[in-house]
Amino acid sequence: MDRTLANFIRALRNSEVRISTAETLDAFNTVELVGYRNRDFLKRSLSLVLSKTVDEKETFETCFDQFFSFSNVHGSRESAEGTSEGGAESGDGEGGGESEGEGGQPQSGTQAGGKKSKTSAYGIEAEKEENLGAGEMTEAQSPLGQLLMHDSKVELSVEMSKAGEQVDVREIQVFTQKGLYTRRIMEVMGLADLDREISDLRNSPQVPMRRLGQELRRRREWLREQVRDYVERQFLLHADASGKRLREELLRKVKLSNVEHRSFRLIQEIVYKMAKKLAALHSRRKKVFKRGQLNIPRTLRHNMAYDGAIFNLKWKSVKIDRPKVFAICDVSGSVANYARFMLMFLYSLEEVMPKVRSFAFSSDLAEVTELFDRNKLEDAIAKTMRDYSGGSTDYGQAFEDFKRLCFDDVDHRTTIIILGDARNNYGDPRSEILKEMYDRSKRVIWLNPEGRNSWYVGDSEMRRYSAYCHQVDECNSLMHLERVVGNLLRTVQ
Amino acid sequence: MVIDIAKIAETVGSLKDHLEEHRYICSDQIATAVYLSYHLRKPILIEGPPGVGKTELAKTTAEMFELPLIRLQCYEGLDEAKAIYEWKYGKQLLYTQVLKETLDEVLQGAKGFAQSISRLHEFGDIFFSEEFLEPRPLLKALREEDGCVLLIDEVDKSDHEFESLLLEILSDYQVSIPEIGTVKATKEPPMVFLTSNNTREISDALKRRCLHLYIPFPDVDLEQRIIHARVPDIPPELRRQLVEFIQELRDLDLKKLPAISETIDWARTLLLLHAESLDPQLVRDTLNVILKFQEDIENVDGEITAITSKVVKH
Repeated sequence: MDRTLANFIRALRNSEVRISTAETLDAFNTVELVGYRNRDFLKRSLSLVLSKTVDEKETFETCFDQFFSFSNVHGSRESAEGTSEGGAESGDGEGGGESEGEGGQPQSGTQAGGKKSKTSAYGIEAEKEENLGAGEMTEAQSPLGQLLMHDSKVELSVEMSKAGEQVDVREIQVFTQKGLYTRRIMEVMGLADLDREISDLRNSPQVPMRRLGQELRRRREWLREQVRDYVERQFLLHADASGKRLREELLRKVKLSNVEHRSFRLIQEIVYKMAKKLAALHSRRKKVFKRGQLNIPRTLRHNMAYDGAIFNLKWKSVKIDRPKVFAICDVSGSVANYARFMLMFLYSLEEVMPKVRSFAFSSDLAEVTELFDRNKLEDAIAKTMRDYSGGSTDYGQAFEDFKRLCFDDVDHRTTIIILGDARNNYGDPRSEILKEMYDRSKRVIWLNPEGRNSWYVGDSEMRRYSAYCHQVDECNSLMHLERVVGNLLRTVQ
Repeated sequence: MVIDIAKIAETVGSLKDHLEEHRYICSDQIATAVYLSYHLRKPILIEGPPGVGKTELAKTTAEMFELPLIRLQCYEGLDEAKAIYEWKYGKQLLYTQVLKETLDEVLQGAKGFAQSISRLHEFGDIFFSEEFLEPRPLLKALREEDGCVLLIDEVDKSDHEFESLLLEILSDYQVSIPEIGTVKATKEPPMVFLTSNNTREISDALKRRCLHLYIPFPDVDLEQRIIHARVPDIPPELRRQLVEFIQELRDLDLKKLPAISETIDWARTLLLLHAESLDPQLVRDTLNVILKFQEDIENVDGEITAITSKVVKH
């Protein structure tokens, strides 16, 4: 039984629930106390021990339901019978086996016919075959054949899990491997022998042997179905997450403009996850102690109780402010996708950066902070894109607008992030405004989605602009974004 | 009458019944948490929106087991001097003064510096002994002979440093005081409840030492039963209406959703006003009991008539 729990924990970990060894031990203690008998009770108890956030609790619920609904496939005998597992096909296979395989009694034709129509796959096949009717069959020779004819679901599922272990079905990574693993498991279980036997039997002149051949063939199909189901479940439990992780890993590195639309959801998830990580890292508001400077009022007040004898020294300290961030995003066609993800990132970090103001422009610049306050993140981004992405890029105009709108709010605590390719269509770059911004603010960071080698080519004003930035970075993948924002949080704190 | 704790905690059902007797109506999940906490000797970390009865659970458990409740309210800047122990500086100071005058007697006959020092050493580390130790909640909880309930409230409000400070007491029921040594819990370790409003993420180290219980808003049935337990005088029809009204409100997009404590307050208010049934005007007049932001009140204002009639018609 302990194996079951260990497997369950493994599956949970695969679904991104973090479980430490200590928690595993707790889970074992819990199970010892609670037992496996009452499923709901077990679920409630394990949920307290293993899942430690609201999200994890949800994952836990689905995982638990999935895992403990078919624990019979893992070979626990007592629960093998009487569950929904197997469904219709297994029921049919069983029904057929009971009367024909073991008893070998002659059966009425109507009954056989009825069965054929029930199992469609068999039905189609059967039409091509000669109708031998029901009757005496010989004994199967190959081990797998015997097992099939023996008709014990439990033994079969034990064999199946054994074979599964042997071919490391848990290492399954992507869904395309399902067929491969199904075949491998069948092979380990002795498919080759069975195939040979079936073809021998079918060519045999004797009717009972041919009948056995038909029956075996039918059962082989049923087994294949079962194995496929088994692999499918193993895939869901063990590989779904790692496949996803693989994709996430890829998406982190891929250029954001190349991301396909259907991956947006996943990207959004990744962004949230990254943001959460950063927020956890930086949520602590640090104090900086001014070394050696005594806070005299506080010291005196604290030492009043000791008759004015100064025991307890209090030092001056400064609380560090959260960064004030102004994000200026070029949302014209070429850069729109990057802007989308950067805004997503910045606003997901609300916990550590509560004071983000955002501006969007292609030619004219406007503040979109309010849009983000009032709407959900996705809607706000969509609206921003809709309203501001038309028009040709004009950085000069944008800077001028920015100056007019909120220059007074820029102070020495402000960090300005500009996201854009600096391609100004040969217009007036107005870099003197950028210089003013540079002088006033704490930091100006320019993020350019283009690769560094194309910065100084064509109508790019990067050379001019980069002189007035504290930091210039190439930024075109989630990984870059994470690094930039992480740095931002580190340097301002 | 002596309460048999072990007997109460024997099954989840009995725990639930006893909690109910003390007017705390809870779901199976909550009772299971208390059950596991008692049997596995593990602290419970309770999370959930404000006002769903996190603190109340600890209080009721203490009441049910007839154990003293020791409460530590966390806030930014809370440190070990306020949470675990502090030296009684004043007393120490006073004693030094007294000692100064009798120093001659103590050192009488001592020859040379080395001898005086060794004489002084005979007094041992008296200044840093139990005599001068001022126990704070955590230490007090460990020293409680027959066990107690320790409530560490709103642990998310404290600093990260404090969280680390808690780790020792949570996993081993002991604290280390450099001058004295390690203080271990007496034979019956305290039952520890930690509550958090999730204003920030609690560290993994702390989480893994605790059971994690999330208390969500209750469903209609549970909430009705809670109101019944807490405000027994309210007529059943009104109770149904007000609970359903609150449930409707929770589906709206509000800054702060009304919690159980607000429902209870509202029930009391309506009882005080001798209301028989909800009507839009009454709701409008008492809305500030359940909604705590002007913005929310304004947002809901338009919906009041619709929700009220929907609820009353049922």
